[in-house]
Amino acid sequence: MFDKILIANRGEIAVRIIRTCRRLGVKAAVVFSDADRDSLAVEMADEAVHIGPAPAAQSYLLADRIVDAVRATGAQAVHPGFGFLSEKAEFAQRLADEKIVFIGPNPHAIAAMGDKIESKKAAAAAGVTTVPGYLGEISGLAHAIEIAEGIGYPVMIKASAGGGGKGIRVAFTRTDVEEGFPAVQAEARGAFGDDRVFIEKFVESPRHIEIQVIGDRHGNIVHLGERECSIQRRNQKVIEEAPSPLLDARTRKAMGDQAVALARAVGYDSAGTVEFVVSGADKGFYFLEMNTRLQVEHPVTEMVTGLDLVELMLRVAAGEKLPFAQKDVKLDGWAIESRIYAEDPYRGFLPSIGRLRRCIPPSEGAAGIAVVRNDTGVREGDEISMFYDPMISKLITHAPTRLEAIDAQARALEAFHIEGIQDNVPFLAAVMDEPRFRSGELTTGYIKEVFPDGFRGSALEEATRDIFVSVAGFVHQLREDRARRVDGTLNDANRSARRTEWAVRIAGTDALTVHVEKDADGAGIVRSDGRRHRIDTQWRPGQPMVHAVVDGRPVSVRITQRPDGLDLRLRGTSARVWVMRPRTAEMLARLPEKQAADTSRLVISPMPGLVVSVEVQPGQEVKSGEPVMVVEAMKMRNIIRAERDGRIARVNVAAGASVAADEILIELA
Amino acid sequence: MKDMLEALEAKRAQARFGGGQKRVEAQHAKGKLTARERIELLLDEGSFEEYDMFVEHRCADFGMADQKVPGDGVVTGWGTVNGRLVYVFSKDFTVFGGSLSMAHAEKIVKVQRMAARNGAPVIGLFDAGGARIQEGVDSLAGYADIFMENVLSSGVIPQISVIMGPCAGGDVYSPAMTDFIFMVKDTSYMFVTGPDVVKTVTNEVVTAEELGGARVHTQRSGVADGAFENDIEAIAEIRRLIDFLPLSNRERPPHRPVHDDPERVERSLDTLIPDNANKPYDMRELIEKVVDEGDFFEIGKDFGKNILVGFARLDGDPVGVVANQPMTLAGVLDIDASRKAARFVRFCDCFNIPIVTFVDVPGFMPGTKQEYGGLIRHGAKLLFAFAEATVPKVTVITRKAYGGAYDVMSSKHLRGDVTYAWPTAEIAVMGSKGAVEIIFRAEMGDPDKLAAREAEYKARFANPFVAASRGYIDDVIMPHNTRKRVIRALKTLKGKKLENPWKKHDNIPL
Repeated sequence: MFDKILIANRGEIAVRIIRTCRRLGVKAAVVFSDADRDSLAVEMADEAVHIGPAPAAQSYLLADRIVDAVRATGAQAVHPGFGFLSEKAEFAQRLADEKIVFIGPNPHAIAAMGDKIESKKAAAAAGVTTVPGYLGEISGLAHAIEIAEGIGYPVMIKASAGGGGKGIRVAFTRTDVEEGFPAVQAEARGAFGDDRVFIEKFVESPRHIEIQVIGDRHGNIVHLGERECSIQRRNQKVIEEAPSPLLDARTRKAMGDQAVALARAVGYDSAGTVEFVVSGADKGFYFLEMNTRLQVEHPVTEMVTGLDLVELMLRVAAGEKLPFAQKDVKLDGWAIESRIYAEDPYRGFLPSIGRLRRCIPPSEGAAGIAVVRNDTGVREGDEISMFYDPMISKLITHAPTRLEAIDAQARALEAFHIEGIQDNVPFLAAVMDEPRFRSGELTTGYIKEVFPDGFRGSALEEATRDIFVSVAGFVHQLREDRARRVDGTLNDANRSARRTEWAVRIAGTDALTVHVEKDADGAGIVRSDGRRHRIDTQWRPGQPMVHAVVDGRPVSVRITQRPDGLDLRLRGTSARVWVMRPRTAEMLARLPEKQAADTSRLVISPMPGLVVSVEVQPGQEVKSGEPVMVVEAMKMRNIIRAERDGRIARVNVAAGASVAADEILIELA
Repeated sequence: MKDMLEALEAKRAQARFGGGQKRVEAQHAKGKLTARERIELLLDEGSFEEYDMFVEHRCADFGMADQKVPGDGVVTGWGTVNGRLVYVFSKDFTVFGGSLSMAHAEKIVKVQRMAARNGAPVIGLFDAGGARIQEGVDSLAGYADIFMENVLSSGVIPQISVIMGPCAGGDVYSPAMTDFIFMVKDTSYMFVTGPDVVKTVTNEVVTAEELGGARVHTQRSGVADGAFENDIEAIAEIRRLIDFLPLSNRERPPHRPVHDDPERVERSLDTLIPDNANKPYDMRELIEKVVDEGDFFEIGKDFGKNILVGFARLDGDPVGVVANQPMTLAGVLDIDASRKAARFVRFCDCFNIPIVTFVDVPGFMPGTKQEYGGLIRHGAKLLFAFAEATVPKVTVITRKAYGGAYDVMSSKHLRGDVTYAWPTAEIAVMGSKGAVEIIFRAEMGDPDKLAAREAEYKARFANPFVAASRGYIDDVIMPHNTRKRVIRALKTLKGKKLENPWKKHDNIPL
């Protein structure tokens, strides 16, 4: 085993690798850019080496800097993590030339699998089922149409050097090919500097299922079962699990055998993943590509196999033999992983980067029959920067059955408190509660099919309503009781009798009369509508989460005090709740509902930022869609457009001004 | 005897009826509650005691002798807010449009005097049409009597005005002399002269909302300290504000039990200051993480946004917080910010509320707009206010404290009691770049040399230690300990005694 390794990566995966190193007694050095100077990884590492400015192209992607860092630290090996240099064969080769061990596969294997066309040829040669398609060079549009029609629609047009969801189109008709083929070519040229494109059969009801393999340098290769990663958004995985609810033992074995055959064919000698697209209809599986690195979602495999993949990578890289054979690999229980991203699920998953004002993850370890694991590289007060993947954390739960793992995941998501930026936790929690997901009927189109209009929050179910009423009523009672304990009162008991009866109104529903008291154990008893709820909590004013047991069910309700009520959220359900004296509710009912202001004549800032330029002047006529202002947020220039035709009545901000989200920038007459 | 009791009840019922069902309904239809409903919400249940319910006007002109409504357009009395005494008057728009007669004014003056004498706040709820024109000069005399009490009570008891409907002409000056003005969005406006007069005199066409709505006064004029969505929210927030305030200048601000550990450590504050000195951060986060339970009652949040002021508690005791806000104009001091903060500091000083100041200020705002607008005089207000304040003053410098603005922001030199700096503090005459360009003007042509000079200047002065070596900073503290250190400092200042020399009153540069 190595004495010291260098981690050529950052964030969550760097922290993950350090953890294993610590356990093995291997010293870990990390590299860091300007943006990561104070990161958790740097804090945890035994040594840290600065390698340049924040943009990855000037730091994490520079092989020279990594090699220098290896020399400076005296590390014997480099773990590349994922992304950055992890799948660059030249980098692996460079290290080999410099006599530094690459904790990953040999350069030949990386090169063989790195190119989508080459890897398909290799797969076909190794007897791996591939999607019907054309692997040669496509001479032009006419050729593309001929190929598409030969395979039969629908077909997928893909950039050969593509990845991360860029440069992919599906064509259902000839017209789609006519439009899509040149577009993909152009995108491929722009994004990857390589305009080679291939066409293949588009599998319907497709599911993304991948096989984890691991090999050593002595020719041993085994697979560690599958992961299903069908819950994707724009071809980015969001929720992963192991095993897959689709596979039976026979299919699993068939896929595993093919994956091992492919790995063997390319002389694979580290951890890697063979990705398949599997038809939900007939369990037909087709090879997609092989990722020659550790995957983001590797923890679910670790949870069901009880193995530490990073440890295995280190051991095989150090020349050790795999300590087990295929027959020793046992899958135990079910694991679910959610990727918690800094993005706004209510606004089309727009990235929402910035400072993590509050970040309180659920506690890790045993939670009843389940186990919770939180892989993160950030702490409260850290910045989710624009330079890298905006992931906050990977939350993993493991339990004996799929539904138990899902329920544990939902509970853990519930308790995850993030403030300062928007996060996708409400969406992830809503998926955990969604019947189709729970039934295991997944496809890669799941999100589009189940949330066709985007995510608007889950509907308020009766059980959640009862919890909200109990929480709001009890919390209000605690606050009111405390308010009465202020100094300097007249001390006239009659004048301020303690009230325990309140009107609770949840937006969109009628007010309920609730009665709040405490039982002998200090738990709240909230009665309403002839029903009695018991709420047991240690919550105190100022805490952002009410962790409670309501009628025997443990819940974590996020609570935000607003001037005009409470915002409560449980999983995917949010609601504005008002608690008031019954008289106040009566009075509120007398007032006409305020007309929501007509915002169509307003141009509103969609995010906080800096006004770069104002394109219009008062009095000027604008057309709908015309740019009126440029607002820079996180170095991204966002063009703000008029939403309707009109004359500019007022411009409220000038270039150079900072604006808040929802600030009114321009008013149209 | 029984008859007499019944007669009283009947008379009361008549008074409570106000301007009649139709007018009450009209009030509701406009989205407004009635005078009595507002009082009911403002005060603890059953705590309201009404005075002068049977007062009627004494005007006989223009047929007024036949139109008498008991109470005469204003409801007055006292009650409690979370058990603490407050006096209240609430204009009744349903009776003569809430217009002010001599009798009406006398009712208000009566509670104003009681409040001042007994040491309790006065809360005025405004929703009225101005002077009772039929009464002529008597009405003006009535206004003046109210103004007089406002002035005499100023600094003795907190006076709070809530504008919940029209408030125009003579009516605006009573609120104007109180400590805080709050408004209700869409249903309230205040101006000295209304749209009609404006049109006649200046030919300007403007709506009441554009002339004096909540948006105007909270964002542009700064006349109002906050605006709320409706009557109910406004009143709930006034109750919240009252909880922070002492009842009079004879009292300490009220302690309330707290569930927040005074020694709470906030690690995330260690990364609040960005590496790049030109990058803003949200000072509100610091305030919310330092004070009890993150509870910050902000005053004037939409005006002069480059400075934050408001009330909070530390270990249960109210404090006034003043803080530069780097998110807006880099936290620079300009006319609006200086005026806003100066007024707040003086309020705190009047009412024995300790002041905690968080400093990140690059200086005063340059430019003709500011100079022509009188930045010298307005900036001086804040300097004056901090300097004259004798309440406990704790200051924490987080980043920039440059130039004269450093002096202004509750510095040691203005009798700041305890002054802390974070390790990121830069207490200097100006930023390194500007300083070097002046000192080494001769080397302006040589960017390399200049950069070296700048680095040299930065190393020498862009830190808290030069100031600390002079004793201008009492200690350099870890950001994560800010709450603990400020609370400890305030505890040592509980017995602070400091008096300004005798004077009739000072002459703050108004």
